[in-house]
Amino acid sequence: MKNKDLVCDTSSFISLTSSCLLEILYFFAEKCKVRFIIPPGVEDEAILYPMSKGIKKYLFSAIRMKDAINDGVVTRVEKEGTVSEAELIMKLANNLFYMRGRPVTLIQRGESEMLALALELDVRNILVDERTTRLLIESPFKLKEHMEEEFGVNVMVNRRNMEELSKRIGNMNVIRSSELVILAYEYGFFNKYQNMEKAALEAALYRIKFAGCSISFEDIEQCLNQVK
Amino acid sequence: MNTLDSFKQLVFSLLQQFKKRNEKQLRHLKDSFLKEATLKTSKLYFEIAVIAYVLSKITSKPRLMGREYQSELLRIEKSLAEFASGVGKYDDATLLRLLKNVEENVNALERLDQRFFRDLVSKGRMKLAATMYAQGVSLGVASEISGIEKQEIQEYAGNTMMFDRVKEEVSIGERIKKARKMLGE
Repeated sequence: MKNKDLVCDTSSFISLTSSCLLEILYFFAEKCKVRFIIPPGVEDEAILYPMSKGIKKYLFSAIRMKDAINDGVVTRVEKEGTVSEAELIMKLANNLFYMRGRPVTLIQRGESEMLALALELDVRNILVDERTTRLLIESPFKLKEHMEEEFGVNVMVNRRNMEELSKRIGNMNVIRSSELVILAYEYGFFNKYQNMEKAALEAALYRIKFAGCSISFEDIEQCLNQVK
Repeated sequence: MNTLDSFKQLVFSLLQQFKKRNEKQLRHLKDSFLKEATLKTSKLYFEIAVIAYVLSKITSKPRLMGREYQSELLRIEKSLAEFASGVGKYDDATLLRLLKNVEENVNALERLDQRFFRDLVSKGRMKLAATMYAQGVSLGVASEISGIEKQEIQEYAGNTMMFDRVKEEVSIGERIKKARKMLGE
């Protein structure tokens, strides 16, 4: 197991780039030797697709992420076994919940590929801002309850798939971009904002929330009360 | 009632409620189609939900109910009726093409009095994609069904209360501990 490796999904890159906080990856790569790893699918979604299609709104984010790869801060890793593992994860996750007798498609290739790569590399730490994948790993029954509430129907669980999936991904440590921002504060990333370090942390946390990192206002408040 | 019959009934109900300019019922229909889109992972249901949303928006605006818009409203009705009568006869790809005609007529109506940079149909697609994500499917699935970029859905979701409505089982304190552990503390 590689302690300082962190496998990242597309959602965390979206939050970090649109909040202008990608520098935090450079900070941790240099200061703590953290290796940020992405599967090819993340590069496709976050970099190659907007660049090849010329999607102006996301071009600058894509360029900055590409630059982070070129600088060696983010490493793209392709592993042979990832494809079949991703297929299996997707099959298990998408046949986990049943509503009105039908299996619910919960995740797609990009998300399962990131999980598969973490398994293949034996990396337990993953950076995910997207809520569904995170709930699937940490508290699938919470996701079930949430869907029952939203759809007003009973959600049946395929227990065998639940066990299989849990064996694979249940012990992963999910970190969001917000936690990286908090640690960055503790490690001095915001020291450049003299006398405004804590205000900068607060602003960065709200910015990352509004960029779509799945953190609640309550969590932000709690965190700000805890940090010095 | 089999699936096709209930689908047909929902689609004809959409046409009837638009003819009655019933905003509330159109919104209910939008919810029904969207739920089916998630349950069936269906692009067709999603697009009908978008049209139901857009029609509810149109009927909610008194300015668009004026005489000067009547011919455009009738065109929308006509294309919607063509779509409805195609249900059960055509495959999803053909139905999606017929639905595109409704979308074009909506756009034509909007062009007569354009007020926003983003048109109603695109706005509807974005909002409903974010709703799917909020309801429980992943960002990737919402993006795949809606055809909207992950970035767009994520940013939209970030400006809603969706992350405040589900209480987390792992506290932020525990999460920070995990992150510290990763750094070797």
